[in-house]
Amino acid sequence: MKHILGKILENIELTEKHFLLTVKVKAKIPDVVPGQFVMVMIDDKKVFLRRPFTLYKVGEDTISIMYKVRGFGTNLLSRMKKGREISLLGPLGRGFALRNRDLYVIVAGGIGIAGVNLLIERMKGRFQIFYGTSSSKGLALIRNLISHDPIIATMDGSFGYKGDIISCLSQHIHYFSGVDFEILACGPKDMYVSLKNVLVTYRVPCQVLWEEKMGCGMGLCFGCAVKTENAEHPMKRVCLEGPVFDLWDLSL
Amino acid sequence: MGSIAIEIFGKKLRNPVMNASGTLGYGREIERLWSIKVLGAFVTKGLSILPCQGNPQPRIFDLGCGMLNSIGLQNIGIKRYLEEYTEFFLERKTPVVVNIFGFTEEEYIECALAIGDNPVVLAIEVNLSCPNVKTGGILFGKKPETVFRIIRGVKSATNFPVIAKLSQEVTDIVELAKAAFEAGADGLTLINTIPGVVLEENRVIRGGLSGPFLKSIALKAVYDCSKAVPIPIIGVGGIMNTEDVISFLRAGAKAVQIGTATFVYPNTIPKIVKELKKRRSFD
Ligand SMILES: Cc1cc2nc3c(=O)[nH]c(=O)nc-3n(C[C@H](O)[C@H](O)[C@H](O)COP(=O)(O)OP(=O)(O)OC[C@H]3O[C@@H](n4cnc5c(N)ncnc54)[C@H](O)[C@@H]3O)c2cc1C
Ligand SMILES: Cc1cc2nc3c(=O)[nH]c(=O)nc-3n(C[C@H](O)[C@H](O)[C@H](O)COP(=O)(O)O)c2cc1C
Ligand code: FES
Repeated sequence: MKHILGKILENIELTEKHFLLTVKVKAKIPDVVPGQFVMVMIDDKKVFLRRPFTLYKVGEDTISIMYKVRGFGTNLLSRMKKGREISLLGPLGRGFALRNRDLYVIVAGGIGIAGVNLLIERMKGRFQIFYGTSSSKGLALIRNLISHDPIIATMDGSFGYKGDIISCLSQHIHYFSGVDFEILACGPKDMYVSLKNVLVTYRVPCQVLWEEKMGCGMGLCFGCAVKTENAEHPMKRVCLEGPVFDLWDLSL
Repeated sequence: MGSIAIEIFGKKLRNPVMNASGTLGYGREIERLWSIKVLGAFVTKGLSILPCQGNPQPRIFDLGCGMLNSIGLQNIGIKRYLEEYTEFFLERKTPVVVNIFGFTEEEYIECALAIGDNPVVLAIEVNLSCPNVKTGGILFGKKPETVFRIIRGVKSATNFPVIAKLSQEVTDIVELAKAAFEAGADGLTLINTIPGVVLEENRVIRGGLSGPFLKSIALKAVYDCSKAVPIPIIGVGGIMNTEDVISFLRAGAKAVQIGTATFVYPNTIPKIVKELKKRRSFD
């Protein structure tokens, strides 16, 4: 983890709510494990705390994050222009752990794609992407991934499977029976609840990227704690022991 | 560069800068950026006799010029903490202020007893901003009588100096300071977070305010109490930089604690210590 200073290179509008921010940094970027995040200082005059974002892409001297405008902070971030100084802290947390499975099934819901993009870029073996979004507009977030033949679901049926991504997954999962596979997922919490219900009979191995509001991102404040099935130490800090957790360890 | 060492509770500290309780993890976490040897003393997270899971999510709210937390005093319990961390502080020759709380008066005393004569301990800081389960959750620190009883109880259970950590709500903080002093407190930490509320769509979240908007309130508490009681005061609340530290020292604080600032600017503490050294004097 270190303090990374940089300048905004671009802040591209992908949809009216989604942006891709690229920062050019001065110092050497430390090694990054996919799933790790940075704490971003948005504007210290107006937003007090930094905000966490997964590292979407890491170049030689650039760092990108993809984000959705949710509240005050992300709204302000979306209006920041090229050339502005920006301070990042990272890389933070524990990312995805790859164990040489025969197949990885990557499941992303909406902006959750930001959490697995670097993972996909660095995948070596076989993998299949499932991406769910509300409508075909959400395809703007996965333009770079089309060559990987993602299976796509839209809630309104405007593209691909009609419905949520977990129902879509449940209709495909029998294809993987007999294969040593693992699921790597990033999306909203209700997606993880449905995912758990679908996987429970076979207890398929599954890692998920869990989000909680954060005060510090460094393990100092205990603001991000989540309850797990660990009897001795039930409370885990998402920023320190996560954000990637084994789905079966979390108390959902 | 001049020395910025201070003497407090009969011990010499490298400098007057400590972290505020609950804002520097258990101690190891920040060492990815700087060594806790930088601190005059390390203040532990609030510790209780039994482990405590804390409050449900969400626990953190950004209020623009500060924040509200609803951590709910999550911790692994005082015995386990001291077992796991004593060696860590010994190695770093860093004195420790053990911050304790209880949900009953007895639990405070049990915590003091659990500390025993641990070699790394500088003092016990008693967090009185904790709900008393026996009175339906009224904070102990609201009434001079309960402040008096708890401080006296803790004093009788330990040989270490005892610091009363107070906050500012309805009661006159000077009355609380006097009660703590009369009960034998060796020092005061002023101030804890101030209770606040955040309204979400379908719920009300209670928590503690911290950060820059506390500074002036905390300075007043330090100033008024330093005139009223002859024991050392540790000033805390909204410190962001060296100027803020100097203000607290001028208001009558002997030492300071830095909390929320570290969340946003993780190098605040080493930066302040360095700048204080350059200035030589605290005026
Ligand atoms: C490890 C981690 C990685 C993340 N990666 C990304 C990413 O790559 N792209 C992206 O768009 N977002 C990501 N998020 C979520 C992002 O941090 C929040 O959307 C952002 O902090 C909201 O800030 P705000 O000021 O706009 O919203 P606020 O005004 O603070 O809140 C608006 C709404 O967003 C919710 N929210 C706030 N903070 C979080 C949070 N940390 N996690 C989930 N919901 C939150 C609030 O509950 C509220 O409903 C990540 C979060 C975590 C913890
Ligand atoms: C996340 C968080 C956790 C805290 N936990 C404790 C605690 O366990 N015990 C305690 O006495 N004070 C606790 N405090 C209060 C701080 O020690 C300090 O008194 C307060 O935050 C004001 O200082 P600041 O503005 O520099 O943060 C906590 C504050 C925060 C923000
Ligand atoms: S965000 Fe502060 S401990 Fe995780």
